[in-house]
Amino acid sequence: MVRLDDRGVADILAIAFMFVILVLAAVFMHTYSLRPLRAATDRQLELKSEHLYMTLELAWVEPYSVSFLRAATENILLEQPTVPGPYLRSAVENTLEYLCPPRYAVAISLSYDNSSWELSWPEGVGLGIDAEKQFVRQGEVRLTMASGEKIAVPVTVRIFEIDGT
Amino acid sequence: MTLTQIFKTLITCILVISFLMITVSAYQQHRTISALAELTDVTSAIVTRLSVEELAYVGNDEKLHMYSIDPAKLENCSTRWEIGGENFDFRVSVSYEAGGEHILGPYGSAPPDDRARCSLAVACALYENGRFLPAKLSVIAWCA
Repeated sequence: MVRLDDRGVADILAIAFMFVILVLAAVFMHTYSLRPLRAATDRQLELKSEHLYMTLELAWVEPYSVSFLRAATENILLEQPTVPGPYLRSAVENTLEYLCPPRYAVAISLSYDNSSWELSWPEGVGLGIDAEKQFVRQGEVRLTMASGEKIAVPVTVRIFEIDGT
Repeated sequence: MTLTQIFKTLITCILVISFLMITVSAYQQHRTISALAELTDVTSAIVTRLSVEELAYVGNDEKLHMYSIDPAKLENCSTRWEIGGENFDFRVSVSYEAGGEHILGPYGSAPPDDRARCSLAVACALYENGRFLPAKLSVIAWCA
């Protein structure tokens, strides 16, 4: 057996250090190279949240001729809204089931004074306020009351990653 | 040269070659990922331009309704655009639910199998028979 002198130990340490550097370099290079693609995918989700908000603002609740967000606003502010509350919730849920991006959840919330209207899809996932990855689009719906008073109700549409996916 | 020295030299050579191979591999992966990220952004740009300009419904008052798709514009939509000095082809379709799923399209040539493609589906409002329906605008894009 060859006896290892001081020089030999130093060489082995150098080789071991090179091996560690090699492994670390491989991990870093391959991990960081994925960042541009992740960023581009996040930008797509940002775009999806913008489109979802605008769709809810424009598309009508069949068979009524009011948009989803306006109908929700009326449910907060009016005693007799155009679209009844239970029907609106069912219609929004069906629409979100169709439009929700796979592996993500959607939450819609409107609030004015002490009243609020909230809905999330899939059911039971919450509003996703604490979600690690979320894409939020905020806006407001303006409604003119019979008295002539104009009220602006803040709206938040949030697309967020469901935990464990 | 002793057996130990030969062994150390061999190990060092293997490590250097491995490092070079990993560096080349990482560079190639970086190029592939960058191209995919660019294609992803181009697809987002195509979808945005379609929904706010090219396919947007124009009312009788000549007002442009952004994010509302006019199905009549789908057939005549050009499916090759130049973006950032490069030509990109895409296939577009609009789907909506009305007593079952209906699909308008797809319009544009079929995507090639031998090139990278990127697909994106976003929500939009579809103007049909005087009503605005919730729908999905889907685009598959690739470098021409």
